[in-house]
Parts: sequence; structure tokens; C-alpha cells
Amino acid sequence: MKFVKPVIFAMLAVVAGVFLILGSRQSASKAPPGFTVVEYWEKWVGPEAAQMQIIVDDFNKTVGRQKKIYVHFMSMTDIDQKTLMATAAGVPPDITGAWDNQIAQFAAIGAVEPMDDLAAAHGITADYYLPVFWNACHYNGHLYALVSTPGTVALIYNKRIFQQCAGQLRAAGLDPDRAPRTIDEFDRYAAVFDSKNPDGQIDRAGFCPVQGWYVPQESFWFGGNLFDPASDRLTLDSPATLHAFQWIQNFSKQLGQQSLMEFQFSLGNFDSPQNPFLVGKLVMQQQGPWMANYIAHLQPSLSEALCPKSEEWKLPDRTANYVWGVAPFPSAVPGQQDVSYNSFDALMIPTGARHKNEAFEFIAYVNRQDVAEKLNTMHSKNLQLRHASEAFLKHHPNPYIAIYQELAASPNAHSVPAIPIWTEVFKELTDAGQAVSVEGVEPLVAVRQAQQRMQAQYDRFHRIETERQRLGIN
Amino acid sequence: MMTAPATTRPLGNRWNAMMVHLGLICVCAGYLLPFIWMCSTSLKAVEQTTEIPPRFVPHPLRTDNYVKVFTHPSFHAVLFARNTLVIAIFTVLGTTLSSAIVAYGFARIPFHGRGILFGIMLATIMIPFPVTMVSVFRIFRWMDAHTARWFGPDNALQMLGTFKPLWLPAWFGSAFSIFLLRQFFMTLPKELSEAAKIDGCSEWGIFWRVILPLTKPVLAVVALFSFMNVWNDFLAPLVYIQRPEQYTLALGLEAFQNKVGGSEWNLLMAASIVVCLPTLILFFLAQRTFIEGIATTGGK
Amino acid sequence: MTREQRRNFFKGMAFLTPWLVGFAVFTAIPIGLSFYYSFCDFALTAPRRAPLWIGLDNYRQLIHDALFWKSLGNTLYYAAMALPAGMLVSLGLALILNANVRGQTVYRAIIFLPSLIPAIASAMLWLWMFNARLGLLNYLLGWIGLPGVNWLGEQWAMPSLALMSLWGVGNTVIIYLAGLQDVPRELLEAAEIDGAGPLRRLVSVTLPILTPVIFFNLIMAIIGTFSILTVPYIMTQGGPNNATYFYTFFNYDQAFKFLHMGYASAIAWIQLAITLVLTGTAFWSAKKWVHYG
Repeated sequence: MKFVKPVIFAMLAVVAGVFLILGSRQSASKAPPGFTVVEYWEKWVGPEAAQMQIIVDDFNKTVGRQKKIYVHFMSMTDIDQKTLMATAAGVPPDITGAWDNQIAQFAAIGAVEPMDDLAAAHGITADYYLPVFWNACHYNGHLYALVSTPGTVALIYNKRIFQQCAGQLRAAGLDPDRAPRTIDEFDRYAAVFDSKNPDGQIDRAGFCPVQGWYVPQESFWFGGNLFDPASDRLTLDSPATLHAFQWIQNFSKQLGQQSLMEFQFSLGNFDSPQNPFLVGKLVMQQQGPWMANYIAHLQPSLSEALCPKSEEWKLPDRTANYVWGVAPFPSAVPGQQDVSYNSFDALMIPTGARHKNEAFEFIAYVNRQDVAEKLNTMHSKNLQLRHASEAFLKHHPNPYIAIYQELAASPNAHSVPAIPIWTEVFKELTDAGQAVSVEGVEPLVAVRQAQQRMQAQYDRFHRIETERQRLGIN
Repeated sequence: MMTAPATTRPLGNRWNAMMVHLGLICVCAGYLLPFIWMCSTSLKAVEQTTEIPPRFVPHPLRTDNYVKVFTHPSFHAVLFARNTLVIAIFTVLGTTLSSAIVAYGFARIPFHGRGILFGIMLATIMIPFPVTMVSVFRIFRWMDAHTARWFGPDNALQMLGTFKPLWLPAWFGSAFSIFLLRQFFMTLPKELSEAAKIDGCSEWGIFWRVILPLTKPVLAVVALFSFMNVWNDFLAPLVYIQRPEQYTLALGLEAFQNKVGGSEWNLLMAASIVVCLPTLILFFLAQRTFIEGIATTGGK
Repeated sequence: MTREQRRNFFKGMAFLTPWLVGFAVFTAIPIGLSFYYSFCDFALTAPRRAPLWIGLDNYRQLIHDALFWKSLGNTLYYAAMALPAGMLVSLGLALILNANVRGQTVYRAIIFLPSLIPAIASAMLWLWMFNARLGLLNYLLGWIGLPGVNWLGEQWAMPSLALMSLWGVGNTVIIYLAGLQDVPRELLEAAEIDGAGPLRRLVSVTLPILTPVIFFNLIMAIIGTFSILTVPYIMTQGGPNNATYFYTFFNYDQAFKFLHMGYASAIAWIQLAITLVLTGTAFWSAKKWVHYG
């Protein structure tokens, strides 16, 4: 018995030693000798990361081999924070794959490098890109990012439930064979789909804005802008934004605040077979083209109404095979069509990156026509480029991809406002959405408060900026 | 020293003892329940983790979850374990050695201002990490910028981007360890030092050859505490480690948490258990030393 | 000073060197720097955004920052729940674990176990347990016939975190146990002979002797409450709707999410000030109720 303890200790020490040795061997790099290693950190995990790895491998085998560049791809969580901290520590990656939300903020605090010259040298110009994305990649007149994968937001609706409720829809004067075209129509469609079960709990909701991802951006569909570059002021309390938040509050009034809260926490996770749209708990949503992939992965039967997906090319109309449909999300402004919010994944080069030029080689590669089409076909997203080939539109996993592409090209396409404190405004507006929806705060009060706080932050930012310019301390 | 836990005098009757046992069992059941739940979830298949009502005994028993933990694409168990071990070893060595040296100064050498300095040292325990977090980060950055200028980038003295910020401060003494060791040193009789001095020993000699060998149990406690702190630390690695290949186990566990929803709860629990295992084993082995260690040094 | 005193001084300082250097580099200078930075604006993205003196601007903005007040209020709300509950529960557990029944080693080990788990692992475990649909707690409530609680919803998130903190009192219990060893058995027996019941013995004999330990644990608990970050970071990310946005979280976000390093320094300094005030109050009040010797 006396030997037990020392023996266990010895065993632990041996195990520790084994881990030390094995672990040290694992961290060796796979780059060929003499190549410049470009560190690329990306936010995606799972299938989307694996798909980007394919593009990275393609690059390494072709352009990389030619120019002696090896891209080392790493996927991680909290990419925005990790990039900032690594930049602050002086050991940033060469490429960071953050979100569009970060571009203005990163540029404003000097965390990323401008890319104007590099882009021009590679022929990536305003003519090549769609204006909505090109503008969103700029801050203060300089280019700070390029797009890896865009995601235009539109209305996705459950055609099967539309047909199931055909009688009720027609009774309300609505057409079950198409999507709503104005916000008023939309609200009436949603009301028809709301249903409660016998004990008063919500069983199904037509639409639930606070469940979605685009609360801060709702204002765009109401004619708002969130920021007016001419007067250099935030417009969070404009009539359009106010109208948007009243609209958000209407849904919780309609469904009942308490019932809505309980309904919300009974809903399944987005990336699971219990996704509320897939199981019919939410009939309409604001979503991007990537839904085609998620549906195919989690609930393929929704995309195989008539025949297996591999056979649908033979159908005269591919979309007939799909139980779900896509349309531009309606606008509240009479006569305004094709309004969309265009989010995207951005590629940026942090300040102090060791291999800026080589990093841009990869960024340019991802934006090459054929490579961009390949990546966005795998990710089931639309294109950031003006031109989309016939093959791309025809063989895309999402049969409605043409709609997304048109929306992105429309003059009413919106993207991230170039506000340096955008991440804080984003949080503020998300909180305001919760406040009006869950806490019953008056929309006017909520937006006024948001405007006041954020404008104060913005003014302060300007004051410090001016001071810095004056003193020459950049 | 103790073979049975010191307690109050034996309870008068069996009824009292039974009540106490009952109370203890209820409380301990409450404390153990989350553990049991953790183990149970770690052996379930993914679909069963989202079952309602949840069940305690998984059927089938998926022990392959533990295999999946070690082969998970984002959780490189061996690599993370190695990283954590490297940091732990350097930290434990640094803490025990430096704290012993400093504690000796506080305990065995009477000098002016000793009391004040000891008070200041204790006060540093109260300083929250966030207060010094940013400035220490900046100091490291400043050091890096200068060493890079003289020795070029990626030199051996670089702080940020390596593990050094995590274990280097340990080599300058840890307030809690210094406290424990000082209390212990003060219980050793003065005659020991005096006898050694008569034999012609220097102060360092007394420390190294006379006092230290007597301190083994307390050193073990200090080492143990230090190891467990490092093993479980999440905040310091969060601030100082950005590259995935440098993650510690605590940081790596975050990889299982899918913030968009749909976390693989079963793998998460299995991985958590794997990460807890070394500290649990060490605790059970050293349990008595542990509890006694705090008792002998007074804990005040 | 005599020659001997001077020699001792140098010897003492020599042994103290590691701590002196460490104190200077990792404590004193950073605190001083942090104070200076709290009057500056900078972002650590050198060479850009170098420190710029802006006077009291950071502090002025803090006063008007709703998130500052919210996070401070949250932390105090948590402290008001977790501190008393933690003290009572840990003391109570220590007393019952001190009773002379068989198997105390096992019982004590079980109570201590949760403090061994890495904070991130227990955060994930409790995240799972608190899950409104799939979690163990609502399942158990259902067994007894009570409706489930939205543990991590806006109303209950903070109380849930306070509840969870009771699971990790093992550390404090061990220290109380060590302190309880110092209660002389003779005193307790004498009190019993005098006719004092168990409660009277507790209040008049045990507790007064225990006051230094209680004081120590109180200070540690105050410091711990104000340092809490890992658990809300993993479990709730400060939500929902900032219900669990702790002060340290606010500090961390401003420093490492937005790179407002100057602002973060001001936030940290206020935290230091509050901690000093609280521990100072505790020390001052200690004269009234802590009995040494």
C-alpha cells in the first residue's frame, strides 16, 4: 500500500512527459522551406472553414508555389478580439477574416493597413466590384478591406405553410402564391400565421424580428440610414428608425410580451435540426443565401419536394422542388423596391503584419472571378463582383441566387455604415431592440436614448481625432 | 501529523450522529449532483443531450466521446496539454523557489522596515488583475520593441506571443505562497539558525541547507496550489495567447462552445472531465498534505 | 543603525530582491502607468494612436456612460447576494463538517471538489444545468411539480450566478475548518458544563474565536467578487441585455474589444478605489468585532 502513491505520481510524470514530447512535435509548420509563410486567421469553424481550406490549398498549389508563398489557415472563435489583442501585442496575423462590422472601427483606431495601392496594382477597382461592397470596404477615403464572401439579406418564407393557410390568406385578401410586397402586407401575412395552442402558448409565429440577426439594420427597410455623412451625424432617432422600432414592438404587442419571451426560449438553435424556420415555428425570416446549405444539411427534405436534389436540374423550374421561397424583403417606403442589407465577411491586413504584400496576393486570389465563384458556390452565398457567370447562377446550391445578386446590385442596397464606433452602435441598437420588445420601453424613448449616447461617443471621437491631427500624433 | 480529522468531542447519542450524517449526505448529494450530471452527459450521444425530459443513465453508453475529444479538429488535446504543462512547470518552479527565498527574508532576518514591506506585500493580493492588465501588457510591448531593435524580431527575449508573460511573474514571488511559507518559517526554532551560524554558515547557507529541507511539506502545498492555479487559469491565457497552436487546455475548451448555438454538449462535458482529471488525481493523492498544509500555517 | 542592524538590513533586502523587482515591474510601475493612462487616449496599435493627454475627459465620459453605472450596479447586486450567502453557507458547512462523525474525510473532499474544476469547465457545466429547456435544474423542479425557471433570462441570470458561486465555497470551508481547530476544546467543555446549549456555545465561544478567520474570508470574498470575469464571459457574455455585465467585463471589453486603453485605465482605477474603500471599511469595522488572541 505504501508504494501506491509514489507509483501513481511516477505514472503521472510519465504521462506528462509523453504529452510534452508528442505536443512539441505537433506544432511544427508544414510550409516548404524558403517560402514566406502568411498567417491567415478566419472566423469560420466547421464546414465553412473546411471549404475555405480548399481555396487555401488551391492557392498554395498554384500562385503560392509560383511566388513562394505558403498560406497557413487557422480557424478560431472571437476573431475580432483575438486580432485586436494580437495587433496590440505586436504579433498580428498577416490576414484576418473578421466581419464587415469591424472595418470602420479597426481602421479608425489604426489597427489595419490601407490597401489602395495593392488593390490598384492587382486590378481590383470600383469597376470590378459592386458599389455597395466597394463603398463598405472604405473608410475615410481609403480601402481597408476586401470581401471574401458576401451575404445579402432577403425574405425567406415557408411555401408549404403559405399553402396550408391559403384559405385564411385569401379571406384576408392576400395571395398565398407569392410573398408580401410591402410592409403593411407583410404584417397582415404574419398575423394570419400566428397561432396559439390550447393553453395560450404561442405555437407558431409569422415573424419574430428580435429572434433574427438584423435588428440594428431594420431601419434600412424603412427608408432610414443610421448615419448622414453630409452632416456627419448619426440618425438613430430619425422618423425611419423610429418607425422601424415601432414595427418591432408591434410584434411583441401582437403576440403578447410574456408569451413571446416563453416562445423564444423554447426555440431550438440555429445550427440544429430544431432550427425554428426548418420546423415551421417561424414562417418568415430575414436571412441570407447560406440558408440553402443549412437546410440541405439539417432538413434536406425541405429542398426535395418533387425529387432528390441531384435530379432537380431536369425539372423545368428548379424552385418547384423547394418548400421554401425567397423574395426581396418588403420596404415600408411606398414605391421603394429591392431594398436589402448586404453583410459580408471581410479580409483585412492588421497593422504590423510581417508580410503585407504576400498577404495581399492571397486576398487578390480570393477575389479572382473564378475563385470567388468557387468559394461562394461552396458557401452558398452571392458574389461581391459586378459580373456573375451563367454557370454560377445556374448551378448554385441556392435556386434563388439570382434574386440575391439583383438585390446586391440595386441602388437601394445598403451595407455597414462607415461609422468608427459602429460596433458600439450595433450593441446599442440591439439592446434597444430588446428594450422595446421584451421590456415594453416606448420606441421613441429607446431611439432617443440611443441617439444621445452614441452621438456623444461619436462627438468625443471627433474631438480626439481633431486634437490628434492638430498635434500630429497619429 | 493528523491521522483523523480534528473535530469536536464525540456526539452524545446515536440520534445526533444520525442527524448530522443525514445533513451531510443531503448537502454532499447536492454538491455531487452536477458532477454526476457532467459524467452522464459526457457519455451520451449528441441527440440524447437535447432530449426532453433529460435522462440520467445514457443508453447507449458512448465512451467513444472521449476518443472524439482527442481527435476533435478544434481541440488539440495533446498540444494544449503540452502547452499547459510547459507553463505549469515553469510557474511551479519559479513560485516555489522565489517565494521560499522571499519568505525567508521576511521570517528569519530581523531588519528595519520588514513589517511595512510585509504589509505592502499582503496588500498586493487585493489589487485586481484588470488594474495592472493593460499596463503590464504595455510594458511587455515596450520591452519587445526595444529588444527587437537591438536583436531583431523574433529574438529569445520577446515577451508577447510567447508563454513568458504567463510564467515569468511567478519567478518574482507569489504573495499567497510567500505568506504561507513565511508563517511556516516563523514556527521553526531560532536555535536552528543560531547553531548553523556558529558553525560558520552564511545566511544563504542556512536557508539552503538547514531551513529548506525542513520545509518540504509546505513546499509541496505551495507547488500544488501553484500547479492547480496555472492548470485552471483562463483569464491570463485569454489576454496573452492569441495563436491557436499556443492555447492552453482552459482556452481550448472554449472551442467546444458554439456561440451561434448547437454546442456539442456531450463532447464539451467529456473534454471538461479530461481537463479536470489531473487536478482531481493530484488532489486525492495529496489530500491530507493539502488540508494540513493550510492548518499548520495558521491560515490567518 | 548598529552594524549588525545594517548587515541584517542588506541581508534581508537581498533575500527580498525577487519580490522587490517583481513588485516594481509588475505592480508599482503598472499602477502608476495606469493612473497616467487614465488621463490619456490611446490604442496600443503602435506606431498609430500613441497616448494623447486628454485630461479628465475619460472620467467625465464614464460618469455619463450608462454601461458604467449598469455594470457597477450589477456587480454590487451580485455582491449583495453572493457575499452574505457565501459567508453563511461556508461557515455552516464548516461547522457541520467539523462534527465528530465517521467519514468526515470523504464529506470534506466532496465539498472541496468543485473548487478544483477549472472555472471554464464549471461555467460550461452550469450553463448546461441552467438551460431552460434541457437543463437539470428545471428537470428537477418538474419532478417536484414546480414550473421551470428561465435561469439565464434577464431577471434570474444574476441570482443564478450567485447560486452557482455557492457551489464553489470549498476553499473558504477549508480555511474555516483550519480556524475551527484553534477553538480550544476545554473552553467548549467548560461552557457545556455551565449549561450552555449547542447554539449558545456556538455564539459565545466558537464565533468570537473565529472572528479573525471570518474577517480574512470576508476580505478574500470582497476581492473575489470584484474580480469575477471568467464565469459570465463563458456563460452569458454579459447578457441577456447586460443583466450579467460585470464591472470587470466592462473593463475587459473597453480594453481588448474596442482598444480604448485610456478609458479602460480609468475604469480600472475606479475599481481599485472602490476595492480600497471596501477593504478599508472592513478593516476599520474589524476593530469592533474581530478578537485576536
